Amino acid sequence: MSPDLTQPIGTPALIRLSGITKTLKGQQQPRTILDGVDLTVHSGESVAILGRSGSGKSTLLSLIGLFDRPDGGQYMLEEQDISRIAERRAAALRSARFGFVFQRFFLLKNLTAAQNVAMALVNGQGWLPRRKRRARVLEALEQVGIAHLAKNKPPKLSGGEQQRVAIARALVRDPRILLADEPTGALDTETGNLVIDALHSATERGCGLILVTHDHAHANRMGRVLRLQDGKLAPAHQQVVA
Amino acid sequence: MIRMSGRFRSALIIGGQGIRARKLRTLLSMLSLFLGVLAVVVVQAGSEFAQKELLADAERSMAKDGTLQMYMPPHEKAAPVALETLRGRQDAVAMFENRAIIGEPNVAPVNPGGAPFDQPGGPGRFYRCDNRGNCTDASQTGAPPGKAIELNLVALTGDIRPFRGFRQDSGQWLDFASAPSLAPRIVLNKEAAKGFTRYQVPAQMHVDNGTADSTPQIIGVVDDGGASYGPMAYVRADELLNWMKPVALSDGNARLQVLMSPQARDLEQTLKARLVAAGVQAGEIYVNRINARERVEDQLAMMRLIFLGMAALVLLIGTAGILNVGLATVGERIEEFALRRAVGTPRILLAGIVLSETLLTGLMTAGAAIGAGALGIKAGASMFGSRFPSLANVEFPWQAGVAGVVAGLVAGLLGGLIPAIRAARIPIATVMRA
Ligand SMILES: Nc1ncnc2c1ncn2[C@@H]1O[C@H](COP(=O)(O)OP(=O)(O)OP(=O)(O)O)[C@@H](O)[C@H]1O
Ligand SMILES: [Mg+2]
Repeated sequence: MSPDLTQPIGTPALIRLSGITKTLKGQQQPRTILDGVDLTVHSGESVAILGRSGSGKSTLLSLIGLFDRPDGGQYMLEEQDISRIAERRAAALRSARFGFVFQRFFLLKNLTAAQNVAMALVNGQGWLPRRKRRARVLEALEQVGIAHLAKNKPPKLSGGEQQRVAIARALVRDPRILLADEPTGALDTETGNLVIDALHSATERGCGLILVTHDHAHANRMGRVLRLQDGKLAPAHQQVVA
Repeated sequence: MIRMSGRFRSALIIGGQGIRARKLRTLLSMLSLFLGVLAVVVVQAGSEFAQKELLADAERSMAKDGTLQMYMPPHEKAAPVALETLRGRQDAVAMFENRAIIGEPNVAPVNPGGAPFDQPGGPGRFYRCDNRGNCTDASQTGAPPGKAIELNLVALTGDIRPFRGFRQDSGQWLDFASAPSLAPRIVLNKEAAKGFTRYQVPAQMHVDNGTADSTPQIIGVVDDGGASYGPMAYVRADELLNWMKPVALSDGNARLQVLMSPQARDLEQTLKARLVAAGVQAGEIYVNRINARERVEDQLAMMRLIFLGMAALVLLIGTAGILNVGLATVGERIEEFALRRAVGTPRILLAGIVLSETLLTGLMTAGAAIGAGALGIKAGASMFGSRFPSLANVEFPWQAGVAGVVAGLVAGLLGGLIPAIRAARIPIATVMRA
């Protein structure tokens, strides 16, 4: 692992994975997808993860994002062991700590952009007053530069605009860490760059970012580039080249 | 607490959004459920009406719930004792039932024995027995047939309507406050009124054991609930007593009955003691408390159960409709639910969202069914109100509304439970994989 020089020594890590394993029960026999993954991410740090299709990148992100639990290894979030966390607490952490962006935008087409963003504010822990809610939604939309489209519904937005609505939805709760799984996969290069810009600017405010991508140019804009291979994470050569 | 209500609100708001986003689907769910909820509303409303009607009838023919009813065989001392004991009491009324014939004197009445006028085959033989067990054939008096009507004349010591729910048909009821009239004012029941419209009889009234015949004035007609029991007439006891001695009021064939308010236990004891002191056999004085409601409810319980069972079946079919639509909708919304879970919506809230959609659908259906039921009752009342007086001013019973709401909620709960569980079980990792 490359030494992390951007962080002062002793700063608590945002995420610390060690020896994470995950076996998925396929159609025929179980397959070990992750076989001892180690990863440490600090606040404000950005990490790119490359890897062949089917190497387990999405599986890894779903463990980090607490969609699923690892079979083995240790997962520390802000120095707390959450390897075996219960679903109730996981839901609360997903809401409070994480923001998600996916290749498919997962917007609800009968809600406006603003309502799609506001969706992330509804989590059962309470209900913000309408004015506060609106202010935060608009702020998030402004961060990705599409506040003027707040009232539009997704079918009337371009792909890049839709993905930026999704990013605003991920940002609206001020997450500690953003997880992006091929967010530019469905976009052309230029639009993809806009999306990466939006994600990148979040790290400048102290947010951690883990970006799964096939695009080396995008990967090289991150602070570190890793490759997932044979169930393990290792530094990628591209970073050295770049 | 705050957390719970926050979740509840969230579920309702998001559920409402879901309903608005799928209006046609909600409408179809409501259609499938409508008949079932309507059936429950109608059955409940119908049984409320039936109960009310039966209860009103019981109050007319017997007495209101809780009333103490005392009765005894004829005894010559009974009437004087009762008159004396009840004097000035507002919470009890004595009824002395005597045979009377109104019309030509010394003829056989058109309805010997005070029989109903429309008895199939005409009035037949009728035997009358006195309290010594001597029976005579009353239909063979030897007197020539003439223009006279025989009826049961009930002399009242006070207004009986607080105890029995008489319904005024026409004219007036007896006025107990005015000065007694020498010509006894009488109020007929409907069967007696039928006789008097059918047969023209002279206004002369002969009462068994009377001192002389009087000239009665008919002042009104009431529905006393006992139409099938033959012609009756009601009269103020003091007006009748101008024409007969108190002992005659309860002698021979005359019967005494006292109705007392539920609280008049003291009066019951006093009256009983005095009657016994006067020579009436204690074992022959019967007292019972009217419990019409219980009897009516017993009668109706079985019917209500059967009809509610059928309604529940229709409701179940409607519930299957909601379930079907609900499952299809959850299947379509897998991504939405996975996404909601991903952004931190707890499973319980997700289930709540789905449930609140079906519950709201059930509630809206209940609203529609209750509205339809209320309109139907209004329409029915205005169409048939003139033929059935009891229907004239019916109101939609609140119990039917409650039943409709409960039916809607139960259907929503049953139809939404499985979809809700499915929604809560959607795995995020599988759905959100890119
Ligand atoms: N629910 C599942 N059950 C069993 N195996 C699964 C399941 N989901 C994915 N897999 C398998 O796990 C492996 C890793 O999948 P994953 O989606 O993590 O790959 P990926 O690196 O994200 O690929 P891509 O770049 O194409 O998105 C694949 O071989 C896939 O077939
Ligand atoms: Mg993937």
